[in-house]
Amino acid sequence: MSNLDLDTSRTPSPTTEAESKLDYSAELDVQVLSLTDQIRRLQTIIRDIQSSRSDFVFSADRLIRLVVEEGLNQLPYKETTVVTPNGVEYKGLAFQKGSCGVSIIRSGEAMEQGLRDCCRSIRIGKILIQTDEDTRKAQVYYAKVPPDVEKRTVLLMYPILTHGLTVIEAVKVLLEHNVQLENIILLTLFATPCGIRAINKAYPEIRINTSEIHPTPPLHFCKKYFGTD
Amino acid sequence: MTIDREILIRPRLHSKEQEEEILTSVRSGKPNRVRNVRRRHLSTGDSEPIIRNRSDSTKTIYTAGRPPWYKSDGADGPSPLVIGICGGSASGKTSVAKNVIEGIDVPWVVLLAMDSFYKGITTEKDKALAKTGDYNFDHPDAFDWEAMIEIISKLKEGKNVEVPIYDFNTHSRCAETKTVYGATIIIFEGIMTFHLEKLRELMDLKIFVDTESDIRLARRLMRDISQRGRQINDVLNQYNRFVKPAYEKYIAPTISHADIVVPKGGSNRVAIDLIVKHIRRELDNRKYRVVRKTSIPRNCSDPASLHLLPQTRQSMGIQTIIRDRNTPRNEFIFYSERLMRLVFEYALGFLPHEAHTVNTPQGLQYDGVRFSGNGLCGVSILRAGETMEKALMKVTKDIRLGKILIQNNPDTKNPELYFLRLPRGIADDHCVLMDASIATGAAAMMAIRVLLDHDVREENILLVSLLMAAPGVHAIAYAYPKVKIITAAVDKTVSKDFHILPGLGNFGDRYFGTDANDLMTDIKEEPFSSD
Repeated sequence: MSNLDLDTSRTPSPTTEAESKLDYSAELDVQVLSLTDQIRRLQTIIRDIQSSRSDFVFSADRLIRLVVEEGLNQLPYKETTVVTPNGVEYKGLAFQKGSCGVSIIRSGEAMEQGLRDCCRSIRIGKILIQTDEDTRKAQVYYAKVPPDVEKRTVLLMYPILTHGLTVIEAVKVLLEHNVQLENIILLTLFATPCGIRAINKAYPEIRINTSEIHPTPPLHFCKKYFGTD
Repeated sequence: MTIDREILIRPRLHSKEQEEEILTSVRSGKPNRVRNVRRRHLSTGDSEPIIRNRSDSTKTIYTAGRPPWYKSDGADGPSPLVIGICGGSASGKTSVAKNVIEGIDVPWVVLLAMDSFYKGITTEKDKALAKTGDYNFDHPDAFDWEAMIEIISKLKEGKNVEVPIYDFNTHSRCAETKTVYGATIIIFEGIMTFHLEKLRELMDLKIFVDTESDIRLARRLMRDISQRGRQINDVLNQYNRFVKPAYEKYIAPTISHADIVVPKGGSNRVAIDLIVKHIRRELDNRKYRVVRKTSIPRNCSDPASLHLLPQTRQSMGIQTIIRDRNTPRNEFIFYSERLMRLVFEYALGFLPHEAHTVNTPQGLQYDGVRFSGNGLCGVSILRAGETMEKALMKVTKDIRLGKILIQNNPDTKNPELYFLRLPRGIADDHCVLMDASIATGAAAMMAIRVLLDHDVREENILLVSLLMAAPGVHAIAYAYPKVKIITAAVDKTVSKDFHILPGLGNFGDRYFGTDANDLMTDIKEEPFSSD
């Protein structure tokens, strides 16, 4: 819906030449933010090794806000009519109550403020998972979610999706709390094709939102955002 | 008769710090000053738009704003009236100018002094001459004629200009300039205003103030000795050697070019009265009424410069909440700020970008983009546009913000310009003009006009709003087709009293709480309570 032509020469040049021509969103079940120059600019600053920390955090916060707004579009709603101060009727929508956010510590916590900026006192649960890269095993260390989470739509926040193991483990935790799979919306900033495939295969009902699909995501995100690099 | 009462309300067209500087430097002149003498050593004095307050009333009159100076389709209106006042030194020119201004009682008048255009003494030899009164200030070569012609021509076109400031103590131009904008009448006074033909051609009315030479000499002595710290011998010397011959050679002959000659200077009430009447007649011929459309022809398609925020469910859901008359104020504020954020994120996509490759910590090269414009500034149309400033600052770091106040005249229904404060040097910048709701587009068109007068390019202006009405969209797109219009929603109609229908009420009132809901006068019980 942007008024700019999607200039394919602006797609990022990944590690292999072949992958650059693929249109991932066709084969994968994922919702990507429609690319505009502004979004590309934010992604450029996030990826740039030379951006200052304050520019990085500013751009990251903006991109988080955009992805969160996109995720909120997928919440359940119903049609309603209101009366304006001029006495005229207006046909609009009302969003259903009963959603919550669940962030995967620690990178997911960067997205919590963006969510709270949109929904002022939304309940936020946290899950701590550590994934061992070598053994490919993910271990849950801590989980605290709202008590009525089985009745709520869950916005699962995890900015950088690489292999997908962490997210799959988090979803298992939510299933233990009786959350319905159709009610889970995953919000990420950058995702790899194999990560998305893994989640599509394990849990096809989950809706995934991201701003960019690329084989090499900015892995420095968490460290640079929190300043621990 | 000089005006010794301070002007109460006037737009400040340069920063507060600069004004403080000028005021302190004026105040730090000689301690024992004679009353009723022009007290300044800087030439700035009165070269800014003056808004007059009636000196006899006790009630605060909110001064009138500037009515439209352009046509409905955005074209230029007739140029401002330029009045030239000439006369010998200390003949009462400034007094005549001030009395004329008071008599016309029209705001948005600019008084330019020829003193501002002295060339400035640079060489040491000339400086020494000036100290002893041997430098010829009264020769045409001492003035910067090109600057005068340029500035008056630009003011006649309605543009924003930078007027130089001359310091009499140091005999040089100050580094700062004075920003002057927005005049219906320009009064240019000085000793040699009629000297150059090019300058005379720019003037619509030429007045010569003819006072007897002995009175002028007396006034000049008083002024130079008490105010400018000269010695009486030096002053007389300068007068005999330069001022008197210059008057006879350059100034007196130009009396033949004048339309009106005013003898006796500023106290000549009859002459001033006649001049004021003439000017009022000229002004009546220049009055404009902007036509405000409340409907558009059927089957009129949306103009190409209109860009509507994608109608996602979030956008619709938020609009439903803010349009609802029952929404309490805190919800209204929260959700309108969310909608503003969405609109700005969308609007910034229309700024120009260029390809820019960066290195990433993962070792690969990333083809990204960066902003390729010169600079960015935001301008809000008070009061509703101000609400959007916070959202804009969240989305752009370090953006400069300007403000314009435009209100509707309740009698003529015209928009009027009241207040203006823009960052300097925005001629090449991209400008985001914001107003929360736009009905007929009259105020937005005036704001666009102001930006164009400040040399911003039409294609660099983004007009961002939450809610617009179709007649307003068409009016703006027709007058200024290159301006990009970005909004969250467009409603179809405008009521007879210029409200958008269905609309969302008066945005400013609902946001700032100046509407008639939950008034203190309606509360019956104790205002303080612990529960």
